[in-house]
Amino acid sequence: MSGISPLTSIARAAAVAPPSGVTPSSTLLTGSAGASSDSFSSALSGAVDNLQQVQNKADGLAMQAVTGTLANPHDYMIAATEASLNTQMTVAVRNKALEAFNEIMRMPL
Amino acid sequence: MGAFDILAISGSGVNLNRTWLDSISDNIANINTVRPTSEAAYQARYVEAQAVSPDAAQPGGVAVTGISLGSAEGRLTYQPDNPMADAQGMVRMPDVDLSEQMSQLIMAQRGYQANLSVVQRATDAYNAALQIGKG
Repeated sequence: MSGISPLTSIARAAAVAPPSGVTPSSTLLTGSAGASSDSFSSALSGAVDNLQQVQNKADGLAMQAVTGTLANPHDYMIAATEASLNTQMTVAVRNKALEAFNEIMRMPL
Repeated sequence: MGAFDILAISGSGVNLNRTWLDSISDNIANINTVRPTSEAAYQARYVEAQAVSPDAAQPGGVAVTGISLGSAEGRLTYQPDNPMADAQGMVRMPDVDLSEQMSQLIMAQRGYQANLSVVQRATDAYNAALQIGKG
């Protein structure tokens, strides 16, 4: 479970980094681009926060499972599946965003 | 809620069916519990379920609203040899039908499995969607 937290910190860094790099050049092009990069970063950090919540829930249930206080075994399995899917989705979105950012950075000016 | 609502909805269905299995096993375990006529018989347990209407907090699903109890009178049975029998030789047996409980057991078990196979299919579907972003 703790092996996942480096991923979330990377995702968090990605959520913060692109706007600071993108905003100066995008404000040169159009005025409205700054607003859209803001909303992207907030959407991504919101997704990361949600991911954190889901993982904390799965962690709590895992703790109950090993201490023998878990009432429903399927609860943990479902929470773990949800945490895994959420992580994969957040990482996929981050990878795509980073790819797009790198594509823009490679653009010959 | 989130992008993975099916998991929470099916989870509530699994929960309900597990509660149902619990009460069926309780009923079957107590099917031969004899009480004297001065006391109440074992009361069969029935699970009450209600649909959860989807809103911002919950994606839907089903909830256990309570456990209701069957007849406390039970079946009066003539067992004069029983130490608990009264002056007329009567004891109280629980009003539980084993064949009915067994068919409910099958229904609850199949319901549990059906909800878990929904979880399985949903996971497969979500994984397929996540494959779009790769490669």
